[in-house]
Amino acid sequence: MSALRLTLISRPPARVDLSPLTAQPLAGRSAAEIAALPLVLGNRRVRLDELFRVTGTPGEALEIAGSDDRLDRIGAGLAGGSIVVEGDAGAYLGQRMTGGSITVSGHAGAFAATGMKGGEIRVAGNAGDFLAAAIPGDHQGMQGGLVLVGGNAGDRAGDRMRRGALLVTGSAGDYCASRMVAGTIAVGGRVGRSTGMAMRRGTVLLLTPPAGLPPTFNACGRFPLTMLALLARAWRGLPGPFGALPAAGLTVRRFMGDLANDGKGEVLVRE
Amino acid sequence: MLLRLAGGRVYDPAHGVNGEIRDLYVRDGRIVAAPGPDERVDQSYDLTGRVVMAGAIDMHTHIGGGKLNIARAMLPEDHRSDPRARSPLTRGSCGHAAPGTFATGYRYAEMGYTACFEPAILPVNARQAHLEMGDTPMVDKGGYVMLGSDDFLLRLMASGAEQRLINDYVAWTLHATRCIGIKVVNPGGISAFKFNQRRFELDEKHGFYGVTPRDILRVLSRAVHELGVPHPLHVHSSNLGLPGNADTTLGTIQAAEGLPIHLTHIQFHSYGTEGARKFSSAAARIAEAINATPNASCDVGQILFGQTVTASGDSMTQHRNSGLASPKKFVVMDIECDAGCGVLPFKYRDTNFVNALQWAIGLEVFLLVTDPWRVFLTTDHPNGAPFTTYPHLIRLLMDRTFRNERLGLVNADARALSTLASIDREYSLYEIAILTRAAPARILGITDLGHLGTGATADITVYRDEPDRERMFSTPEYVFKDGELIVRNGAVVKVTWGRYHTVEPAYDRGIERRLKEHFDRYQTIRAASLQISRDEMAAFGHGAEVRTHPCRRGTP
Repeated sequence: MSALRLTLISRPPARVDLSPLTAQPLAGRSAAEIAALPLVLGNRRVRLDELFRVTGTPGEALEIAGSDDRLDRIGAGLAGGSIVVEGDAGAYLGQRMTGGSITVSGHAGAFAATGMKGGEIRVAGNAGDFLAAAIPGDHQGMQGGLVLVGGNAGDRAGDRMRRGALLVTGSAGDYCASRMVAGTIAVGGRVGRSTGMAMRRGTVLLLTPPAGLPPTFNACGRFPLTMLALLARAWRGLPGPFGALPAAGLTVRRFMGDLANDGKGEVLVRE
Repeated sequence: MLLRLAGGRVYDPAHGVNGEIRDLYVRDGRIVAAPGPDERVDQSYDLTGRVVMAGAIDMHTHIGGGKLNIARAMLPEDHRSDPRARSPLTRGSCGHAAPGTFATGYRYAEMGYTACFEPAILPVNARQAHLEMGDTPMVDKGGYVMLGSDDFLLRLMASGAEQRLINDYVAWTLHATRCIGIKVVNPGGISAFKFNQRRFELDEKHGFYGVTPRDILRVLSRAVHELGVPHPLHVHSSNLGLPGNADTTLGTIQAAEGLPIHLTHIQFHSYGTEGARKFSSAAARIAEAINATPNASCDVGQILFGQTVTASGDSMTQHRNSGLASPKKFVVMDIECDAGCGVLPFKYRDTNFVNALQWAIGLEVFLLVTDPWRVFLTTDHPNGAPFTTYPHLIRLLMDRTFRNERLGLVNADARALSTLASIDREYSLYEIAILTRAAPARILGITDLGHLGTGATADITVYRDEPDRERMFSTPEYVFKDGELIVRNGAVVKVTWGRYHTVEPAYDRGIERRLKEHFDRYQTIRAASLQISRDEMAAFGHGAEVRTHPCRRGTP
C-alpha cells in the first residue's frame, strides 16, 4: 500500500495551515475528498488540490514532497501514523501531537513540538525558536515524546518543558531550558546565554562545555551518574552523538539551579 | 413597510397570551394593531406551527468592563481554541468563556436574545465598559453601576450623612456613568478586604469606617427606591460561596426593610452546613423566603459543567478561592482605589461533590420559587457557565426526564443530598417566556421590550416547536430586531447595533462640590472626567440610540 503523497505544486504566495490533514483520520477517504479538503491560505480558503498534486492512497502514512517553510502546522495534533516531509516545514510542526512520527528532511520553523505529548519528531536540519516550548498563554511546553534535531535549535528551546526528551545535535540559542519544569534536554554543541534561566526541575545534558551559566546555578562537582547509562541505553541507535553515548564511564560536571526558582534542576556538562 | 407574522403560536405573558394562534403586524420597528382590510401587507412570514416570543433579555451577564478584559487577556487558550471565522457580513472573533465583543453579540442574537445587561460597572471603568458594549453588535445594552465599597459612600455613611445626600450621590453616579441600575457587590466587603478583613458578616463592622453591610444595603435600597429608579437594588450578597451563607442571604432580604431588592446569582448564596462534608443545599429555605417576600426577586446564576472563568468585583471571595483556579492562574486587584476585582478560570466538574451540589442547588431554586416573575434565567455569564449554555439550561427546566438523566450522572454523594429528583415541576413555554422576556423587561422598567403588545419594539424570536428544547432554543428560525430580520436559522443575516438603556433620576447638584473635593484629593481622575456625556455615549455605539427610561419618585 503506497502512502498518500502530496506534492507541492509551487511555493504558496502566503502561509498555509495544514492542520486539517491531521484533524481527522485520512484513512478511508477517497482521493476526491482529499483533493477537496479546504485549507486556509493567508486569509482565504482554497482547495487542497489548488496547492498540491495528490497521489497514492489515504492511510496511516502521509508524504509531503517539495515541502516549503510556508507550510504551517504539519502534523498538528497527530495521534498516530507517520508523516514524512521532504523539504522544509513551517511553524508549529507537530504541535500538540500525541503519537505517531514526523520526519523532516530539511529545516523546521518556529514553535515546532510546542505542547507535544507523545510520539517522535525528527528534523534533519535546523529548528526555529521556541522548539518544544510553550506558546504564549500555555502553562506547559513539551509534555512527552521525543524530538531529535540534526542541526541547530533557535532561542528558548524547551521553554516550560514538562516531560519527554529534546535532543539537539548542533547548538541551541539563548534561554535554552528556560522555565523548564521537568524532562530531559540534550545539546551536542554550544548553548547561548542564560541556559536554564528559571528552571525548576529537569535535566539538561551538554556535550560541549557552555561559555557560562546564570549565576544562580551552583557547581556541585564531578559525578559518574548511573542515570546517564540509562539515558545512553534509551537513546542507543539514534543518529548523531546521542545514539553513540558510552554505556558506562561517562562523567559529568553537575550544576544545580535555578536557585532563584527551587533549584532542583540540573545542567550536566560532559567532561 | 408593513410586515405580517402570520399564524404563529404566541407566548406573551405580559398580556397573558399563552400559546394562542395570532398574527402579529410590524411597522417602522414597532408592533402595530391589525391593519384595516384596505392596507397592503408588504411582506408576510408564514409561522404556522412556530413558537413566537419577544426577543429574550439577559438581565445579568458580564459582557463588558475592566474585569472581562482582564479575563480575555488572561485566557489566550480560551480564545485560540474557539475561533469564529469572519463572513462577508460579520467580523471574526473568538472566545468560549470570555468571548470578544463581536462573538458575544452574534451568539446572543443567534440564540434569540436581543438585550443584555452588564451587572458590574465600576464608575471609574464606566467609559471603557460602554465602549466595549458599544462594540457589541446585535443586542440592546445597559449596565448596573457598582456602589457600596467606594470611599465616598462609606465616608458619607461614617459621618452620619442624611439619606438625602446619599440619594444625590447615587443619582449623580447613575447620570455620570449612564447606567440603568445600582449594583452592590459584597456590601462594603471589597473595601474591608483592603483593611485586611477576609470575611465580612452582615452585621460586622468595617474595620475603618465602622459601617456594616446591613447599613449599606439599607441606605442603598432606600436611595434606589426614593429616586424612583425602576430596577431594585441589585445585590450580590456577602459570603458568596461559603457553606452556611443561606443565613446571610435571608438576612440580606430583611436588610432591605420591605423595599424592593434583587438578589443576584442566588445559587451561590443558598448553601447550608448539613451533612458529613458540612456543605448542603439550602435552596428550599431560600425559595421559601423569596416566595414569602413579594419585594424580593432573584436570578439564579446556574452553574453548568465545563470550563469557564469567574470574573467578579468581589475581590474578597476571589482571593479566598484563588487556590481553586483551573488552569492555575488568577488576578485579584484593586481598581483605582474605588473597588476591586478578581478573575480566576474555573472548571466545574460533575464528578466533584461541591460542583455537582451547586448544579443541583441552582435547579432546585429554579423549581422551588413559585412565582416565575421573580426568578430569572441566568448563569451569571461567565461565572456559572458561558451564556451559550442557556438552551441546555432551558431543557433542564422543561424536561424532567432529561433532568433526572443528568442528575444520574453527577457525583453520587451530591445526588444523595439533593431533593432535585423528587421535584416534578417542568417549566412551560409560557413560564420560560416570563423568565427570559416579560419579567426582565418589567423589573428593569423598560416598557417597550419583553412583550408583543401594540407599541412594543419589534424584537421578536420565532422558534420551531421541537421536542428537544435545547435544539429549539439554540437555533431560532427567525429573529427580528426593530422589525428587521437579523437572524435566520440561527445565523446572522443582518448586523445591527441595538441601543442603550439608561435612567436619569433628578438630584440636587449641590453634591457635585463635595464630589469635586473628594475626587481632587483622593481619586485618580477628576469627578468631571468621570462623567460621560450623552453625546459621548452616542458616539460609543456605532450611532446607537440612548434611551432614557422614566423614574417615578417613591415616597421619601
